[in-house]
Amino acid sequence: MSQPKSLQEAERKVFRTAYQDGLWDVFLGCFVLMFALAPLLSASLGDFWSSMVFLPFWGLVALAIWLIRKHVVAPRVGVVKFGPARKRKLRSIGLVMLVVNVVALVLGIVFALRSPVPGQAVPIAFGLIFLLGLSIAAYVLDFRRLYLYGLLTGLSPLVGEWLYTQHGVAHHGFPLTFGLSAAIMILTGLVIFVRLLRDNPLPDPQNSARYA
Amino acid sequence: MAKTHSEPELRPLADLDPIIHAPARLMVLTYLYVVESVDYVFLMRQTGLTWGNLSTHLTKLEEAGYVAIEKEFRGKKPHSMIRLTDLGRAAFREYKTSLQQVLNGLPDDQE
Repeated sequence: MSQPKSLQEAERKVFRTAYQDGLWDVFLGCFVLMFALAPLLSASLGDFWSSMVFLPFWGLVALAIWLIRKHVVAPRVGVVKFGPARKRKLRSIGLVMLVVNVVALVLGIVFALRSPVPGQAVPIAFGLIFLLGLSIAAYVLDFRRLYLYGLLTGLSPLVGEWLYTQHGVAHHGFPLTFGLSAAIMILTGLVIFVRLLRDNPLPDPQNSARYA
Repeated sequence: MAKTHSEPELRPLADLDPIIHAPARLMVLTYLYVVESVDYVFLMRQTGLTWGNLSTHLTKLEEAGYVAIEKEFRGKKPHSMIRLTDLGRAAFREYKTSLQQVLNGLPDDQE
């Protein structure tokens, strides 16, 4: 096993091992998947009921990931409680994400009130929010795949709008573009998760019980 | 005539804390230094040590008062978490400073 060359590197390695188990990729992928499914469900169920479907979906995904982390990942990888510096970083990223979401909500309301909004304002604004939010998270968490995910989700509304205006693709192309981004994220997460299970078999139960 | 370097003071090398200086324990302490606490499985995975080896080194560190092994409950199951004590943190910091001082005093190349 390669060992870190500095304390800073050791701290980063610990953080990466503990958080980059692929489940964050799946979690984010499921979030992006909602943008792909929203227009399809909205067309069949209406705006109100389609948004109601997403709440339990989101809750189920979060619950499943929490259970998998607790019962599958932790016994294999172990448990770590981070130091104060990393905890501060995690709190700050939570705050940044809250601000990004509030900005998105405000923009959504503004655009809804001023509908129809001229030109490409809506896809550009939401593309930038995705790109900015995920890039900040990637930087703070030292989680480089998030840059790619930011780019993918940032481009999704723009490419979707282009597909809609140029080729008449239904629902502003969102099921296609967001669906593709979500598929890439979920598949990446699953591959990383399977590799984690393969590389970290369950420890010997006798020793586990002895050192528990 | 080649430039002569002043002899580095190597005495601090002999004073390095032998409890910390063993490679496996140094590795364990490095990980403990950068986190609040970890469990056995996590340390074993990170260091590549076996259960038995890790346990032996942790016992030595615990006897020296450098680490504390505390039982907590995760649900109904007991779970041991290992953390660096204040004494251990101070000793590791001192070890790091001493080693840095000695190594920084050495010339890059012996002419």
